[in-house]
Amino acid sequence: MSDIKIGISLYSFSTEFIHEKLDFEGILKKAHDMGYQGVEIVAAQMVPEYPYPSDEWLAECKALLKKYELEPVCWSAYIDMGIRSDRDLTEEEIIQFTVNDLIYAKKAGFPMVRTQHAISPKIFRQMIPFCKELGVKLTIEMHHPHHPEVPVWKEYFEIMKGEGKGWLGFVPDFSIFQTMPHKLYLDQAVSFGCRPEKLAEIVELHRNHADYSVVANGDFNDIEKHTAEEMFGKFSAPAKMEQWKDMIDCAFYMHGKFYYLDNDDHDPCIPFEEIIAEVKRLGYKGYIASEYEGHHFDETIDSEEQLRHFVALMNKNLNA
Amino acid sequence: MDFQAYNKILICKDDIKNVKVGGVTVGYQFKIKYPSYRGVFLSCVEDLRFKLDGEEIPASKISFKLNGKDFLLSELPECFKEYWFVRTPAVIFVRQDGGIAPGEHSLNVYMKHRVPYTGYFGQYLVLDSDVTETKTAV
Repeated sequence: MSDIKIGISLYSFSTEFIHEKLDFEGILKKAHDMGYQGVEIVAAQMVPEYPYPSDEWLAECKALLKKYELEPVCWSAYIDMGIRSDRDLTEEEIIQFTVNDLIYAKKAGFPMVRTQHAISPKIFRQMIPFCKELGVKLTIEMHHPHHPEVPVWKEYFEIMKGEGKGWLGFVPDFSIFQTMPHKLYLDQAVSFGCRPEKLAEIVELHRNHADYSVVANGDFNDIEKHTAEEMFGKFSAPAKMEQWKDMIDCAFYMHGKFYYLDNDDHDPCIPFEEIIAEVKRLGYKGYIASEYEGHHFDETIDSEEQLRHFVALMNKNLNA
Repeated sequence: MDFQAYNKILICKDDIKNVKVGGVTVGYQFKIKYPSYRGVFLSCVEDLRFKLDGEEIPASKISFKLNGKDFLLSELPECFKEYWFVRTPAVIFVRQDGGIAPGEHSLNVYMKHRVPYTGYFGQYLVLDSDVTETKTAV
């Protein structure tokens, strides 16, 4: 038996939620029916009065979690630095938004807030006393194209391992290990005007670690070049498995990010076999959220079917 | 190209409706939603334009209605405390004496909007959502 539990980010049902096929309760019921227990909510997505949810909504949220036997695991927040048109948010404003999320997470019964890298080491550190006072942990998501060697993360890890130990942590998103674009991304690129044979050529160049300049100066149209630039930028510095050992003590939670699965066994883009073997070996205890994100690219995909493939793939690797 | 699939929700399924006030048809309206997986403050909308049957609708005739309030399009960039929930449609009301002819019309919505969190290396992603649909006016 593993100490790792598979949870779900309700964000996995973005397509159903925004196309109004499922409402908040419908998604919680679906999560329950699929056998999930631990849930994450992206508050800016599913909370109607965000960032200041009403007492009525909070009471309803708690009642629904209870009704569907779900455990609140993570309240996901953003550092929306660019809210204003005239300038970025000030430190004071970022602190205000972060404190607000910690308070509403607490009110809704969630023990952890997940925020973003732009919080800054200074503000992250300043949140420690408030996290302790509320009893709510604060985590930063590490999402591609970030990876453990991006300089600011060195500072974050120092804080998490030092004065923030036990209260400040991080949420590795498995996108940091992604090595190549997924099928939905490639299909969409074709729909935007990439010629399939040229796109295949770009994927092959990327796989062979060619420099982007080969595409920039080659026989490709503008949309192919744009796609290649994005592909080379996003998938060229995947995190390494040996980096887990230095950071896993700071991982309070993980995002089992995936974009498209057509089977229960293997994802060609994200090396789940290696990831799960390593986090198991290192003794990670806690939730890995199922986080389906293909909805950015194609709204015709059935999220539930994707999640079922993911759970099967995870179970296979957790029990291996 | 992240987020492009969300453009499918920009123009709501509802018909275009002629709007009557005390028996007088003063204009028409239709609904749009914020084309993302999440909600944002209205200040993230950098530009919003509409065309009906290929003709630009003058901004001076348009009211953007949300959360029980009416906004001028030019006011949106200032609305950094007005939240647009991703499932709440905004009503676009266009003043036009007599409204528009019932039947099919081509409606184009163009929205330039800023993803409010910074990109991973410091820049904001600004998206263009440009959608044209055939709608029925009633």
